[in-house]
Amino acid sequence: MTNQKSFDPYDLFNKFSSQLEKQVNDLIMTNTNNPRFTRLLQKSTETTAMYKEMFKKSQELLGNQLQLPNKDDVANVAKLAIQTEEKLDSLEEQIWTLNDSVSATNKEIESIVGVSSDIIKLTKQLKTELSKTKLELAATKELSSELKVIKNELADVKGLKEELSILLQIMSEKNIDKKDHEESELASSPSK
Amino acid sequence: MARATLYHNIIPALDIEKEMNRWNKVLNITNQPKLSVNQTPKHEVWKKNKASLWVYPAVEKKYDVPIFLINSLVNRAYCFDFTPGASVIEILVNAGYDVYLLDWGFPGYEDKDTNLEDYIDDYLRKGVQRALRHSGAESISLVGYCLGGILAAVYASIAEESIRNLVLVTPPIDWDVNTFIPDKWLEGIKNGTLNLDRFIDSYGIIPKFYQEQMFKAVNSPISYTPYINLLNHADDKRFVEKWCTMNNYLTDTVPFTRGAYKQLVNDIIKDNKLVKGEFAVHGKKVDFRNIKENLLVLSSKYDTLVHQDQSRPIMELVSSEDKTLQEVKAGHLNIALSGKLGVELDKWLCHRS
Repeated sequence: MTNQKSFDPYDLFNKFSSQLEKQVNDLIMTNTNNPRFTRLLQKSTETTAMYKEMFKKSQELLGNQLQLPNKDDVANVAKLAIQTEEKLDSLEEQIWTLNDSVSATNKEIESIVGVSSDIIKLTKQLKTELSKTKLELAATKELSSELKVIKNELADVKGLKEELSILLQIMSEKNIDKKDHEESELASSPSK
Repeated sequence: MARATLYHNIIPALDIEKEMNRWNKVLNITNQPKLSVNQTPKHEVWKKNKASLWVYPAVEKKYDVPIFLINSLVNRAYCFDFTPGASVIEILVNAGYDVYLLDWGFPGYEDKDTNLEDYIDDYLRKGVQRALRHSGAESISLVGYCLGGILAAVYASIAEESIRNLVLVTPPIDWDVNTFIPDKWLEGIKNGTLNLDRFIDSYGIIPKFYQEQMFKAVNSPISYTPYINLLNHADDKRFVEKWCTMNNYLTDTVPFTRGAYKQLVNDIIKDNKLVKGEFAVHGKKVDFRNIKENLLVLSSKYDTLVHQDQSRPIMELVSSEDKTLQEVKAGHLNIALSGKLGVELDKWLCHRS
Protein backbone atom coordinates (compact mmCIF):
# COMPACT_ATOMS: atom_id res chain seq x y z
CA MET A 1 0.00 0.00 0.00
CA THR A 2 1.27 3.45 -0.81
CA ASN A 3 1.25 6.36 1.61
CA GLN A 4 0.05 8.76 -1.06
CA LYS A 5 -3.19 10.66 -1.09
CA SER A 6 -5.61 9.03 -3.54
CA PHE A 7 -6.44 10.98 -6.66
CA ASP A 8 -10.00 12.28 -7.02
CA PRO A 9 -10.60 13.45 -10.58
CA TYR A 10 -14.19 14.38 -9.92
CA ASP A 11 -13.58 17.58 -7.96
CA LEU A 12 -12.34 19.35 -11.06
CA PHE A 13 -15.11 17.81 -13.15
CA ASN A 14 -17.65 18.97 -10.54
CA LYS A 15 -16.43 22.57 -10.68
CA PHE A 16 -16.27 22.55 -14.45
CA SER A 17 -19.74 21.05 -14.87
CA SER A 18 -21.39 23.45 -12.40
CA GLN A 19 -19.87 26.40 -14.26
CA LEU A 20 -21.00 24.94 -17.58
CA GLU A 21 -24.50 24.35 -16.21
CA LYS A 22 -24.73 27.95 -15.06
CA GLN A 23 -23.57 29.21 -18.45
CA VAL A 24 -26.02 26.96 -20.32
CA ASN A 25 -28.89 28.08 -18.08
CA ASP A 26 -27.95 31.73 -18.50
CA LEU A 27 -27.86 31.20 -22.27
CA ILE A 28 -31.31 29.58 -22.20
CA MET A 29 -32.69 32.40 -20.03
CA THR A 30 -31.22 35.04 -22.33
CA ASN A 31 -32.74 33.42 -25.40
CA THR A 32 -36.15 32.77 -23.85
CA ASN A 33 -36.62 35.93 -21.83
CA ASN A 34 -38.22 37.89 -24.64
CA PRO A 35 -41.74 38.58 -25.96
CA ARG A 36 -41.21 36.37 -29.05
CA PHE A 37 -40.66 33.34 -26.86
CA THR A 38 -43.76 34.07 -24.80
CA ARG A 39 -45.81 34.40 -28.00
CA LEU A 40 -44.31 31.14 -29.29
CA LEU A 41 -45.10 29.44 -25.99
CA GLN A 42 -48.64 30.77 -26.12
CA LYS A 43 -49.17 29.50 -29.68
CA SER A 44 -47.69 26.09 -28.99
CA THR A 45 -49.76 25.59 -25.84
CA GLU A 46 -52.89 26.68 -27.68
CA THR A 47 -52.15 24.22 -30.46
CA THR A 48 -51.54 21.45 -27.96
CA ALA A 49 -54.75 22.36 -26.15
CA MET A 50 -56.66 22.34 -29.42
CA TYR A 51 -55.44 18.84 -30.32
CA LYS A 52 -56.10 17.64 -26.79
CA GLU A 53 -59.68 18.94 -26.99
CA MET A 54 -60.16 17.25 -30.37
CA PHE A 55 -58.82 14.01 -28.96
CA LYS A 56 -61.09 14.30 -25.95
CA LYS A 57 -64.17 14.87 -28.14
CA SER A 58 -63.31 11.91 -30.33
CA GLN A 59 -62.77 9.78 -27.27
CA GLU A 60 -66.18 10.83 -25.86
CA LEU A 61 -67.87 10.07 -29.17
CA LEU A 62 -66.28 6.65 -29.41
CA GLY A 63 -66.96 5.96 -25.76
CA ASN A 64 -70.64 6.78 -26.24
CA GLN A 65 -70.89 4.36 -29.14
CA LEU A 66 -69.08 1.59 -27.31
CA GLN A 67 -70.88 2.29 -24.01
CA LEU A 68 -67.60 3.01 -22.26
CA PRO A 69 -67.31 5.53 -19.43
CA ASN A 70 -64.84 8.36 -19.75
CA LYS A 71 -62.90 10.44 -17.24
CA ASP A 72 -65.76 12.88 -16.71
CA ASP A 73 -68.18 10.06 -15.85
CA VAL A 74 -65.79 8.65 -13.27
CA ALA A 75 -65.19 12.16 -11.93
CA ASN A 76 -68.93 12.73 -11.54
CA VAL A 77 -69.26 9.54 -9.51
CA ALA A 78 -66.33 10.63 -7.33
CA LYS A 79 -68.00 14.03 -6.84
CA LEU A 80 -71.10 12.30 -5.50
CA ALA A 81 -68.93 10.51 -2.94
CA ILE A 82 -67.30 13.83 -2.02
CA GLN A 83 -70.72 15.49 -1.63
CA THR A 84 -71.87 12.64 0.62
CA GLU A 85 -68.78 13.07 2.74
CA GLU A 86 -69.43 16.81 2.99
CA LYS A 87 -73.00 16.19 4.11
CA LEU A 88 -71.79 13.77 6.78
CA ASP A 89 -69.26 16.36 7.95
CA SER A 90 -71.96 19.00 8.10
CA LEU A 91 -74.23 16.65 10.07
CA GLU A 92 -71.39 15.94 12.46
CA GLU A 93 -70.86 19.68 12.94
CA GLN A 94 -74.56 20.18 13.58
CA ILE A 95 -74.50 17.40 16.17
CA TRP A 96 -71.51 19.08 17.80
CA THR A 97 -73.39 22.39 17.86
CA LEU A 98 -76.38 20.67 19.46
CA ASN A 99 -74.09 18.93 21.95
CA ASP A 100 -72.47 22.22 22.81
CA SER A 101 -75.81 23.98 23.28
CA VAL A 102 -77.17 21.08 25.38
CA SER A 103 -74.10 21.10 27.61
CA ALA A 104 -74.35 24.90 27.90
CA THR A 105 -78.04 24.54 28.85
CA ASN A 106 -77.13 21.82 31.34
CA LYS A 107 -74.59 24.09 32.92
CA GLU A 108 -77.17 26.88 33.18
CA ILE A 109 -79.66 24.47 34.74
CA GLU A 110 -77.01 23.30 37.19
CA SER A 111 -76.26 26.86 38.18
CA ILE A 112 -79.99 27.60 38.60
CA VAL A 113 -80.38 24.45 40.71
CA GLY A 114 -77.47 25.58 42.84
CA VAL A 115 -78.99 29.01 43.31
CA SER A 116 -82.39 27.46 44.15
CA SER A 117 -80.93 25.19 46.83
CA ASP A 118 -79.19 28.22 48.34
CA ILE A 119 -82.52 30.06 48.39
CA ILE A 120 -84.23 27.08 50.07
CA LYS A 121 -81.56 26.95 52.79
CA LEU A 122 -81.95 30.66 53.36
CA THR A 123 -85.73 30.32 53.59
CA LYS A 124 -85.43 27.55 56.17
CA GLN A 125 -83.07 29.66 58.20
CA LEU A 126 -85.47 32.58 58.07
CA LYS A 127 -88.35 30.32 59.21
CA THR A 128 -86.37 29.12 62.21
CA GLU A 129 -85.49 32.66 63.14
CA LEU A 130 -89.11 33.72 62.70
CA SER A 131 -90.36 31.07 65.14
CA LYS A 132 -87.64 32.10 67.61
CA THR A 133 -88.68 35.68 67.24
CA LYS A 134 -92.33 34.75 67.87
CA LEU A 135 -91.42 32.98 71.09
CA GLU A 136 -89.38 35.92 72.20
CA LEU A 137 -92.26 38.23 71.34
CA ALA A 138 -94.67 36.18 73.48
CA ALA A 139 -92.24 36.27 76.38
CA THR A 140 -91.84 39.99 75.93
CA LYS A 141 -95.61 40.46 76.02
CA GLU A 142 -95.85 38.52 79.27
CA LEU A 143 -93.18 40.66 80.79
CA SER A 144 -94.96 43.74 79.61
CA SER A 145 -98.23 42.70 81.26
CA GLU A 146 -96.43 41.89 84.50
CA LEU A 147 -94.76 45.25 84.36
CA LYS A 148 -98.16 46.89 83.97
CA VAL A 149 -99.47 45.09 87.06
CA ILE A 150 -96.43 46.19 88.99
CA LYS A 151 -96.96 49.73 87.75
CA ASN A 152 -100.57 49.69 88.91
CA GLU A 153 -99.59 48.37 92.32
CA LEU A 154 -96.93 50.99 92.55
CA ALA A 155 -99.55 53.61 91.71
CA ASP A 156 -101.76 52.22 94.48
CA VAL A 157 -98.86 52.30 96.88
CA LYS A 158 -98.18 55.86 95.91
CA GLY A 159 -101.83 56.76 96.56
CA LEU A 160 -101.66 55.08 99.94
CA LYS A 161 -98.51 56.95 100.68
CA GLU A 162 -100.14 60.23 99.88
CA GLU A 163 -103.15 59.42 102.09
CA LEU A 164 -100.80 58.39 104.84
CA SER A 165 -98.95 61.63 104.56
CA ILE A 166 -102.22 63.57 104.66
CA LEU A 167 -103.26 61.58 107.71
CA LEU A 168 -99.96 62.23 109.33
CA GLN A 169 -100.33 65.87 108.63
CA ILE A 170 -103.81 65.93 110.02
CA MET A 171 -102.61 64.02 113.07
CA SER A 172 -99.75 66.33 113.57
CA GLU A 173 -102.11 69.33 113.32
CA LYS A 174 -104.41 67.72 115.79
CA ASN A 175 -101.49 67.04 118.13
CA ILE A 176 -100.45 70.65 117.87
CA ASP A 177 -104.01 71.80 118.60
CA LYS A 178 -104.19 69.43 121.55
CA LYS A 179 -100.90 70.69 122.84
CA ASP A 180 -102.01 74.23 122.49
CA HIS A 181 -105.26 73.43 124.27
CA GLU A 182 -103.40 71.64 127.05
CA GLU A 183 -101.04 74.53 127.43
CA SER A 184 -103.85 76.98 127.55
CA GLU A 185 -105.63 74.81 130.22
CA LEU A 186 -102.43 74.63 132.25
CA ALA A 187 -102.03 78.31 132.04
CA SER A 188 -105.55 79.00 133.26
CA SER A 189 -105.66 76.34 136.15
CA PRO A 190 -103.06 77.75 138.76
CA SER A 191 -104.98 81.04 139.15
CA LYS A 192 -107.88 79.18 140.73
CA MET B 1 -6.17 0.46 -1.98
CA ALA B 2 -4.18 2.85 -4.16
CA ARG B 3 -1.69 1.37 -6.54
CA ALA B 4 1.84 2.65 -6.83
CA THR B 5 2.54 3.98 -10.33
CA LEU B 6 5.66 4.82 -12.25
CA TYR B 7 5.04 8.53 -12.13
CA HIS B 8 3.52 8.61 -8.69
CA ASN B 9 5.49 11.74 -7.83
CA ILE B 10 3.80 13.67 -10.67
CA ILE B 11 0.41 11.99 -11.09
CA PRO B 12 -1.19 10.86 -7.78
CA ALA B 13 -2.40 7.25 -7.65
CA LEU B 14 -5.99 6.22 -8.36
CA ASP B 15 -7.90 4.25 -5.69
CA ILE B 16 -9.50 1.52 -7.84
CA GLU B 17 -11.64 0.01 -5.10
CA LYS B 18 -13.07 3.37 -4.18
CA GLU B 19 -13.86 4.08 -7.82
CA MET B 20 -15.52 0.72 -8.29
CA ASN B 21 -17.66 1.31 -5.22
CA ARG B 22 -18.55 4.78 -6.47
CA TRP B 23 -19.63 3.67 -9.94
CA ASN B 24 -21.49 0.72 -8.54
CA LYS B 25 -23.60 3.01 -6.37
CA VAL B 26 -24.17 5.51 -9.19
CA LEU B 27 -25.23 2.92 -11.75
CA ASN B 28 -27.53 1.23 -9.23
CA ILE B 29 -28.87 4.47 -7.83
CA THR B 30 -32.49 3.42 -8.23
CA ASN B 31 -31.87 0.47 -5.91
CA GLN B 32 -30.08 2.44 -3.22
CA PRO B 33 -31.76 2.65 0.18
CA LYS B 34 -33.47 5.89 1.14
CA LEU B 35 -33.79 7.45 4.56
CA SER B 36 -37.15 6.90 6.23
CA VAL B 37 -39.40 9.92 6.03
CA ASN B 38 -42.44 10.91 8.06
CA GLN B 39 -41.29 9.07 11.17
CA THR B 40 -42.65 11.28 13.96
CA PRO B 41 -45.61 9.54 15.67
CA LYS B 42 -48.95 10.87 14.49
CA HIS B 43 -52.59 9.93 14.06
CA GLU B 44 -55.37 11.13 11.82
CA VAL B 45 -57.93 13.53 13.25
CA TRP B 46 -60.05 14.30 10.21
CA LYS B 47 -60.28 13.46 6.57
CA LYS B 48 -61.98 15.38 3.78
CA ASN B 49 -61.79 14.17 0.22
CA LYS B 50 -58.06 13.73 -0.36
CA ALA B 51 -56.95 15.96 2.51
CA SER B 52 -56.04 14.68 5.95
CA LEU B 53 -55.52 16.47 9.23
CA TRP B 54 -52.78 14.82 11.26
CA VAL B 55 -51.92 15.46 14.88
CA TYR B 56 -48.42 14.99 16.25
CA PRO B 57 -48.77 14.99 20.06
CA ALA B 58 -46.11 16.74 22.08
CA VAL B 59 -43.62 14.46 23.82
CA GLU B 60 -44.16 16.48 27.00
CA LYS B 61 -46.75 19.21 26.56
CA LYS B 62 -45.52 22.63 27.67
CA TYR B 63 -47.60 25.02 25.62
CA ASP B 64 -51.37 25.38 25.49
CA VAL B 65 -51.50 26.87 22.01
CA PRO B 66 -51.09 24.17 19.36
CA ILE B 67 -49.38 24.77 16.02
CA PHE B 68 -51.21 24.29 12.73
CA LEU B 69 -48.91 23.72 9.75
CA ILE B 70 -50.14 24.59 6.27
CA ASN B 71 -48.14 23.17 3.41
CA SER B 72 -47.87 24.42 -0.14
CA LEU B 73 -50.38 22.89 -2.57
CA VAL B 74 -47.64 21.66 -4.91
CA ASN B 75 -45.33 19.83 -2.51
CA ARG B 76 -45.77 16.78 -0.36
CA ALA B 77 -46.51 17.52 3.29
CA TYR B 78 -43.72 15.34 4.61
CA CYS B 79 -41.30 18.19 3.96
CA PHE B 80 -42.12 19.17 7.55
CA ASP B 81 -41.20 15.69 8.80
CA PHE B 82 -38.43 14.83 6.43
CA THR B 83 -36.08 12.53 8.30
CA PRO B 84 -35.27 12.01 11.98
CA GLY B 85 -32.82 14.74 12.91
CA ALA B 86 -33.96 16.98 10.05
CA SER B 87 -37.65 17.27 10.90
CA VAL B 88 -39.48 20.47 11.77
CA ILE B 89 -42.27 18.54 13.49
CA GLU B 90 -39.84 16.46 15.52
CA ILE B 91 -38.21 19.63 16.87
CA LEU B 92 -41.59 21.17 17.75
CA VAL B 93 -43.06 18.11 19.50
CA ASN B 94 -39.84 17.65 21.47
CA ALA B 95 -40.09 21.31 22.49
CA GLY B 96 -43.58 20.69 23.89
CA TYR B 97 -46.04 21.79 21.20
CA ASP B 98 -48.98 19.80 19.88
CA VAL B 99 -48.66 20.03 16.09
CA TYR B 100 -51.42 19.68 13.53
CA LEU B 101 -50.56 19.23 9.85
CA LEU B 102 -53.06 19.65 7.02
CA ASP B 103 -51.94 17.35 4.22
CA TRP B 104 -53.77 18.46 1.07
CA GLY B 105 -53.32 15.06 -0.55
CA PHE B 106 -53.30 14.29 -4.28
CA PRO B 107 -56.18 15.96 -6.13
CA GLY B 108 -57.88 13.85 -8.73
CA TYR B 109 -59.64 14.79 -11.97
CA GLU B 110 -62.87 15.30 -10.00
CA ASP B 111 -61.15 18.09 -8.04
CA LYS B 112 -60.15 20.06 -11.13
CA ASP B 113 -62.43 22.96 -10.28
CA THR B 114 -61.29 23.28 -6.66
CA ASN B 115 -59.82 26.77 -6.38
CA LEU B 116 -57.96 28.65 -3.67
CA GLU B 117 -61.23 29.90 -2.12
CA ASP B 118 -62.43 26.31 -1.73
CA TYR B 119 -59.12 25.25 -0.21
CA ILE B 120 -59.34 28.10 2.30
CA ASP B 121 -63.01 27.92 3.19
CA ASP B 122 -63.79 24.20 2.90
CA TYR B 123 -60.50 22.66 3.93
CA LEU B 124 -58.38 25.09 5.91
CA ARG B 125 -61.13 26.74 7.95
CA LYS B 126 -62.73 23.41 8.79
CA GLY B 127 -59.34 21.90 9.55
CA VAL B 128 -58.61 24.68 12.03
CA GLN B 129 -62.03 24.19 13.64
CA ARG B 130 -61.38 20.49 13.97
CA ALA B 131 -57.93 21.10 15.41
CA LEU B 132 -59.30 23.55 17.99
CA ARG B 133 -62.00 21.11 18.98
CA HIS B 134 -59.61 18.16 19.15
CA SER B 135 -57.02 20.03 21.19
CA GLY B 136 -59.50 21.81 23.46
CA ALA B 137 -57.38 24.94 23.07
CA GLU B 138 -58.85 28.42 22.94
CA SER B 139 -56.57 29.64 20.16
CA ILE B 140 -54.08 28.30 17.65
CA SER B 141 -50.85 29.29 15.88
CA LEU B 142 -50.93 29.12 12.09
CA VAL B 143 -47.74 28.41 10.14
CA GLY B 144 -47.94 28.67 6.35
CA TYR B 145 -45.12 27.69 4.01
CA CYS B 146 -44.76 29.23 0.55
CA LEU B 147 -48.18 28.96 -1.16
CA GLY B 148 -49.45 27.74 2.20
CA GLY B 149 -48.32 31.11 3.54
CA ILE B 150 -50.68 32.86 1.12
CA LEU B 151 -53.51 30.58 2.24
CA ALA B 152 -52.68 31.19 5.91
CA ALA B 153 -52.54 34.98 5.47
CA VAL B 154 -55.82 35.08 3.55
CA TYR B 155 -57.54 32.84 6.07
CA ALA B 156 -56.22 34.84 9.03
CA SER B 157 -57.74 38.02 7.59
CA ILE B 158 -61.24 36.50 7.38
CA ALA B 159 -61.16 33.97 10.22
CA GLU B 160 -63.75 33.91 12.97
CA GLU B 161 -61.77 31.30 14.86
CA SER B 162 -59.29 32.48 17.47
CA ILE B 163 -55.76 32.70 16.07
CA ARG B 164 -52.99 33.68 18.45
CA ASN B 165 -49.94 33.70 16.16
CA LEU B 166 -49.39 33.78 12.42
CA VAL B 167 -46.11 32.63 10.87
CA LEU B 168 -45.51 33.00 7.13
CA VAL B 169 -42.50 31.23 5.65
CA THR B 170 -41.35 32.66 2.29
CA PRO B 171 -44.84 33.73 1.22
CA PRO B 172 -45.03 35.22 -2.29
CA ILE B 173 -47.50 37.99 -1.44
CA ASP B 174 -46.52 40.80 -3.81
CA TRP B 175 -46.03 40.22 -7.53
CA ASP B 176 -45.31 43.80 -8.59
CA VAL B 177 -41.79 43.67 -7.15
CA ASN B 178 -38.64 41.69 -7.99
CA THR B 179 -39.37 38.04 -8.62
CA PHE B 180 -37.38 35.10 -9.92
CA ILE B 181 -39.72 34.63 -12.87
CA PRO B 182 -38.05 35.98 -16.03
CA ASP B 183 -39.33 39.52 -16.42
CA LYS B 184 -40.63 39.08 -19.98
CA TRP B 185 -42.60 36.01 -18.95
CA LEU B 186 -44.10 37.91 -16.02
CA GLU B 187 -44.86 40.80 -18.36
CA GLY B 188 -46.56 38.35 -20.73
CA ILE B 189 -48.68 36.97 -17.88
CA LYS B 190 -49.68 40.45 -16.74
CA ASN B 191 -50.61 41.76 -20.19
CA GLY B 192 -52.31 38.53 -21.26
CA THR B 193 -49.81 37.58 -23.96
CA LEU B 194 -48.90 34.44 -22.06
CA ASN B 195 -52.11 32.77 -20.97
CA LEU B 196 -52.05 29.04 -20.33
CA ASP B 197 -55.67 28.75 -19.18
CA ARG B 198 -56.84 26.84 -22.26
CA PHE B 199 -53.87 24.49 -22.02
CA ILE B 200 -54.54 23.82 -18.34
CA ASP B 201 -58.29 23.45 -19.02
CA SER B 202 -57.60 20.65 -21.45
CA TYR B 203 -55.83 18.69 -18.72
CA GLY B 204 -57.93 19.62 -15.70
CA ILE B 205 -55.12 18.76 -13.32
CA ILE B 206 -51.62 19.94 -14.23
CA PRO B 207 -49.64 16.72 -14.77
CA LYS B 208 -46.65 16.19 -12.47
CA PHE B 209 -44.21 16.27 -15.39
CA TYR B 210 -45.36 19.71 -16.55
CA GLN B 211 -45.28 21.02 -13.01
CA GLU B 212 -41.70 19.84 -12.46
CA GLN B 213 -40.63 21.39 -15.76
CA MET B 214 -42.42 24.63 -14.83
CA PHE B 215 -40.40 24.95 -11.62
CA LYS B 216 -37.20 23.97 -13.44
CA ALA B 217 -37.86 26.54 -16.16
CA VAL B 218 -37.95 29.31 -13.57
CA ASN B 219 -34.88 28.13 -11.70
CA SER B 220 -32.54 26.16 -13.91
CA PRO B 221 -33.85 24.44 -17.04
CA ILE B 222 -30.75 22.29 -17.32
CA SER B 223 -29.87 20.74 -14.00
CA TYR B 224 -27.28 17.96 -13.77
CA THR B 225 -25.20 19.30 -10.87
CA PRO B 226 -27.03 17.06 -8.37
CA TYR B 227 -25.91 14.03 -10.38
CA ILE B 228 -22.34 15.29 -10.55
CA ASN B 229 -22.46 15.85 -6.79
CA LEU B 230 -23.70 12.31 -6.41
CA LEU B 231 -20.86 11.03 -8.56
CA ASN B 232 -18.44 13.05 -6.48
CA HIS B 233 -19.62 11.70 -3.14
CA ALA B 234 -21.01 8.29 -4.09
CA ASP B 235 -18.52 6.50 -1.84
CA ASP B 236 -20.21 8.09 1.19
CA LYS B 237 -23.15 5.84 2.09
CA ARG B 238 -24.90 8.51 4.19
CA PHE B 239 -24.60 11.05 1.36
CA VAL B 240 -26.13 8.60 -1.12
CA GLU B 241 -29.05 7.88 1.21
CA LYS B 242 -29.71 11.59 1.73
CA TRP B 243 -29.36 12.25 -2.00
CA CYS B 244 -31.88 9.53 -2.87
CA THR B 245 -34.34 10.79 -0.27
CA MET B 246 -34.02 14.38 -1.48
CA ASN B 247 -34.28 13.36 -5.13
CA ASN B 248 -37.38 11.36 -4.33
CA TYR B 249 -38.94 14.38 -2.64
CA LEU B 250 -38.09 16.76 -5.47
CA THR B 251 -39.71 14.50 -8.05
CA ASP B 252 -42.69 13.77 -5.79
CA THR B 253 -44.68 16.90 -6.60
CA VAL B 254 -48.42 17.21 -6.11
CA PRO B 255 -50.60 17.99 -9.14
CA PHE B 256 -52.16 21.45 -9.17
CA THR B 257 -55.86 21.84 -9.95
CA ARG B 258 -56.88 24.12 -12.82
CA GLY B 259 -59.17 26.14 -10.51
CA ALA B 260 -56.33 26.88 -8.10
CA TYR B 261 -53.87 27.53 -10.94
CA LYS B 262 -56.16 30.00 -12.67
CA GLN B 263 -56.86 31.87 -9.46
CA LEU B 264 -53.19 31.95 -8.52
CA VAL B 265 -52.06 33.20 -11.92
CA ASN B 266 -54.94 35.52 -12.80
CA ASP B 267 -55.90 36.97 -9.41
CA ILE B 268 -52.70 36.85 -7.42
CA ILE B 269 -49.87 37.09 -9.97
CA LYS B 270 -51.51 39.04 -12.81
CA ASP B 271 -53.81 41.40 -10.88
CA ASN B 272 -51.85 41.37 -7.59
CA LYS B 273 -55.18 41.35 -5.75
CA LEU B 274 -53.74 40.37 -2.39
CA VAL B 275 -51.77 43.56 -1.97
CA LYS B 276 -54.53 45.71 -3.47
CA GLY B 277 -57.11 44.19 -1.11
CA GLU B 278 -59.32 43.02 -3.96
CA PHE B 279 -59.14 39.29 -3.30
CA ALA B 280 -62.27 37.68 -1.89
CA VAL B 281 -63.09 34.25 -0.49
CA HIS B 282 -66.68 33.29 -1.31
CA GLY B 283 -67.75 36.90 -1.09
CA LYS B 284 -65.73 37.79 1.99
CA LYS B 285 -63.24 40.52 1.14
CA VAL B 286 -59.68 39.78 2.17
CA ASP B 287 -58.12 42.76 3.91
CA PHE B 288 -54.77 42.19 5.58
CA ARG B 289 -55.55 45.05 7.97
CA ASN B 290 -57.82 42.59 9.76
CA ILE B 291 -54.74 40.61 10.79
CA LYS B 292 -54.04 41.66 14.37
CA GLU B 293 -52.35 38.48 15.52
CA ASN B 294 -48.68 38.25 16.39
CA LEU B 295 -46.90 37.94 13.05
CA LEU B 296 -43.58 36.40 12.05
CA VAL B 297 -42.46 36.48 8.43
CA LEU B 298 -39.47 34.34 7.54
CA SER B 299 -37.63 34.88 4.27
CA SER B 300 -34.81 32.71 2.92
CA LYS B 301 -31.58 34.42 1.99
CA TYR B 302 -30.67 31.85 -0.66
CA ASP B 303 -34.19 31.37 -2.03
CA THR B 304 -34.37 30.92 -5.80
CA LEU B 305 -38.16 30.59 -6.09
CA VAL B 306 -39.62 33.37 -3.91
CA HIS B 307 -37.75 36.66 -3.83
CA GLN B 308 -37.35 38.31 -0.42
CA ASP B 309 -39.03 41.46 -1.78
CA GLN B 310 -42.20 39.44 -2.33
CA SER B 311 -42.56 38.61 1.37
CA ARG B 312 -41.80 42.05 2.85
CA PRO B 313 -44.91 44.07 1.86
CA ILE B 314 -47.23 42.19 4.21
CA MET B 315 -45.45 43.82 7.15
CA GLU B 316 -46.91 47.19 6.13
CA LEU B 317 -50.36 45.80 5.35
CA VAL B 318 -51.22 44.11 8.66
CA SER B 319 -52.44 45.76 11.86
CA SER B 320 -50.45 43.54 14.19
CA GLU B 321 -48.57 45.28 16.96
CA ASP B 322 -46.13 42.40 17.44
CA LYS B 323 -44.66 41.73 13.99
CA THR B 324 -41.21 40.50 13.01
CA LEU B 325 -39.49 40.06 9.66
CA GLN B 326 -36.58 37.68 9.86
CA GLU B 327 -34.09 36.42 7.31
CA VAL B 328 -32.94 32.81 7.56
CA LYS B 329 -29.75 31.62 5.89
CA ALA B 330 -31.29 28.81 3.92
CA GLY B 331 -32.79 27.99 0.55
CA HIS B 332 -36.46 27.74 -0.33
CA LEU B 333 -36.72 24.01 0.36
CA ASN B 334 -33.74 23.72 2.65
CA ILE B 335 -35.38 25.86 5.35
CA ALA B 336 -37.93 23.08 5.94
CA LEU B 337 -36.01 20.01 4.83
CA SER B 338 -33.07 20.73 7.13
CA GLY B 339 -35.27 21.41 10.18
CA LYS B 340 -34.05 25.02 10.59
CA LEU B 341 -37.64 26.16 10.44
CA GLY B 342 -38.40 24.21 13.63
CA VAL B 343 -35.66 26.00 15.52
CA GLU B 344 -36.83 29.44 14.37
CA LEU B 345 -40.45 28.64 15.16
CA ASP B 346 -39.63 27.46 18.67
CA LYS B 347 -37.51 30.55 19.36
CA TRP B 348 -40.39 32.85 18.45
CA LEU B 349 -43.43 30.86 19.58
CA CYS B 350 -42.12 29.88 23.02
CA HIS B 351 -42.80 33.44 24.27
CA ARG B 352 -46.21 33.63 22.61
CA SER B 353 -47.85 30.30 23.38
